[in-house]
Amino acid sequence: MTSTLDRPDLAVPAPKRPATRERLTWRQRLGRFDVKASPYAYISPFFVLFGLTGLFPLVYTLVVSVHEWELLQGQGEFVGLENFANVLQDRFFWNSIFNTLSIFLLSTVPQIAMALVIAAVLDQALKARTFWRMSVLLPYVVTPVAVALIFSSMFNEADGLANNLVGLLGIEPIQWKHDTLASHIAIATMVNWRWTGYNALILLAAMQAVPRDLHESAAIDGAGTARRFFSITIPSIRPTLIFVIITATIGGLQIFAEPKLFDVSSAGGIGGYDRQFQTTVLYLWEMAFFRQNFGEAAAIAWLLFLLIVGIGLINFFISKRIATAEGRVIKKRTAKRLATKEVGK
Amino acid sequence: MKLSRRTTAAAALAGAAAISLVATGCSSNSGGGDGETIELTITTFGTFGYEDLYTEYEEANPNIDIVANNIDTGGNARTDLFTKLGAGSGVSDIVAIEEGWLGAIMEVSDQFVDLTEHGIEERAGDWVDWKYEQATDPEGRVIGYGTDIGPEGLCYNGAAFEAAGLPTDRDEVAELFGGEDATWERYFELGQQYTDATGKAWYDHSGFVWNAMVNQLEEGYYTSDGELNVDGNAELRERFDQLAEATTNGQSAAQTAWDWNGGKSFVDGTFATFVCPGWMLGVVQGQLEAGGGGPDTGWDFADVFPGGAANWGGAFLSIPTSSEHPEEAAALADWLTQPEQQVKQSAAAGNFPSTLEAQEELAANPTPNEVFNDAPTGQILASRAEGVVAQYKGPDDSIIQENVFGPALQALDRGEADGDTAWQEALDLLVELEVE
Repeated sequence: MTSTLDRPDLAVPAPKRPATRERLTWRQRLGRFDVKASPYAYISPFFVLFGLTGLFPLVYTLVVSVHEWELLQGQGEFVGLENFANVLQDRFFWNSIFNTLSIFLLSTVPQIAMALVIAAVLDQALKARTFWRMSVLLPYVVTPVAVALIFSSMFNEADGLANNLVGLLGIEPIQWKHDTLASHIAIATMVNWRWTGYNALILLAAMQAVPRDLHESAAIDGAGTARRFFSITIPSIRPTLIFVIITATIGGLQIFAEPKLFDVSSAGGIGGYDRQFQTTVLYLWEMAFFRQNFGEAAAIAWLLFLLIVGIGLINFFISKRIATAEGRVIKKRTAKRLATKEVGK
Repeated sequence: MKLSRRTTAAAALAGAAAISLVATGCSSNSGGGDGETIELTITTFGTFGYEDLYTEYEEANPNIDIVANNIDTGGNARTDLFTKLGAGSGVSDIVAIEEGWLGAIMEVSDQFVDLTEHGIEERAGDWVDWKYEQATDPEGRVIGYGTDIGPEGLCYNGAAFEAAGLPTDRDEVAELFGGEDATWERYFELGQQYTDATGKAWYDHSGFVWNAMVNQLEEGYYTSDGELNVDGNAELRERFDQLAEATTNGQSAAQTAWDWNGGKSFVDGTFATFVCPGWMLGVVQGQLEAGGGGPDTGWDFADVFPGGAANWGGAFLSIPTSSEHPEEAAALADWLTQPEQQVKQSAAAGNFPSTLEAQEELAANPTPNEVFNDAPTGQILASRAEGVVAQYKGPDDSIIQENVFGPALQALDRGEADGDTAWQEALDLLVELEVE
């Protein structure tokens, strides 16, 4: 982390302002300007880049979405909100929203639960700690495309690894690439495999910041491991948990590579022949680059943006509540400590 | 963690930026020459068989450096080209265009170099006439050098035929299917016999058979005037019903196209016949290699096709106007599509040339293809090419094939729909996908 500069001693009285306003010299004015403007200059690279690569495409996408716009022919007539109306009436759009939310739930919930358990285990006094911690991060290093190719082969319906394993249990081969629920589970598995370890490490960092004395006193009071996990660890890391949930939400709503490459036989990969696992971003891709309707694709991009903003707002209110909950926890904690101190006296 | 309103707004903006980035895509520029050595980029797809020809050309022209890129399937090549055309940059100096999506390219033919400026007119007589016509846009500009055409023959598995008590000799097989008068009725009738006798499928999946059935018609999804002609098209419907009946009776192996279970389905006798345009022979060979099979797997190639002569696919070499070296690119594309080179290409990839001279050469000098039980595939294809007529391809032809009939036929393959519901599904999709 960066070290903070020493604070100027506040006790030293500020130089008195001259009663009459003197004319500032050029240097002084430059100095003032420097103090006021420089910070903005220092942070400007991000905003300039963001304007170029973020804001401009965003606005341009809006322009495209209100025009008839073909991939090859380019801009056509202005059509107002017609593209949006078409998309909202399109059953494949709603299908893609359903798939996105379903895959999102199937991936995020088990992922965070698993990450919590793994983090809790890693938080124990293990031998070769760094080794274990690095190991859980390994899947994150592999690119999504490679993950998708490997899992696509594992979930091969004819004789993939997954069906061989369920075959050992005496279960009929599962239609991983045709059945809606099975395909969602398969894709969620890819996402989970890649992200669980990453989230576990973030949660682990939070867990290590939980004061050990809390655990110790709880243990002395006779609380078991499970009790301590649920009553101490989880409440203490709630803010971090919320962060993990938010990032997982954003990632989950933008799933693309996994369903794109899971079954490439239908039109180059549109998420199953009947769009069983076509996510919204994948539908956007199909609309833009397969069906070449850029106008509607831009409308989909904007609707997805609004959806993410909507979910972002929900997250905002939740995090606000969590923040107050955090305040309560701290108050309780201080009260508890004071109480123990009192007892100790 | 406490998020301020501003952070949320910024995060939301950043999220939107990420999405819009997805929409904008990215591309890389093709390299330019330094005056001495000229770098020519070329993009092909599938099994094109050009590798040795590139080397040969580079040796003959030391100032040319060919940077080749081959995309696995025609479908992906289509996406790649359309994306780059849409972005306005990144198209290679020479790009292979498939007949199936030539219709969409013709809508923007002005983005390609008019090859009459590079003397293609003098070669007009080299190609079968319809190949040259296909590459000519309404304004009379010619935008592509024809490479191969896709006359269709029948691939069949000799071992599977033997097991079912069918003849295995390729001439007898051709007779069995009806020789010159082969029909789809006969094909499906034999299929039913085979399926009943062995319990195995007759063809790999309905999509390819359907493709052949449609491509064979004088007019496919569009009339020759460019009008969409699917709903109420009795000819299409009749063929669809034939296919639906056979599929419902278990003749389809419901395979995943371009995957075929990693090629294994070609090896383990999952299906006994396969529709084979010339270029598909290279695909089959690749699938056999991937699936651990080879010449002993028993695939053979018969000089017969249900419903008569048919063409599926075939490609063109085009030069985008964005190319920095149109002159040199035209010279290379011209050279690659000369009869002499087409014969070599055919030997390497198994596909069938589009120039008359090369076709005659293949017909006159039968060369055994060891992967297909030493069948003289080139000669057979020359015979299969007789009577092939080009079908008009509309702008959305490939979308209708893949996105409209694709899902309907898969539902049929998987037994989730009967002929009527599958046809209705296709018609619904046609409306919903706003095909023009």
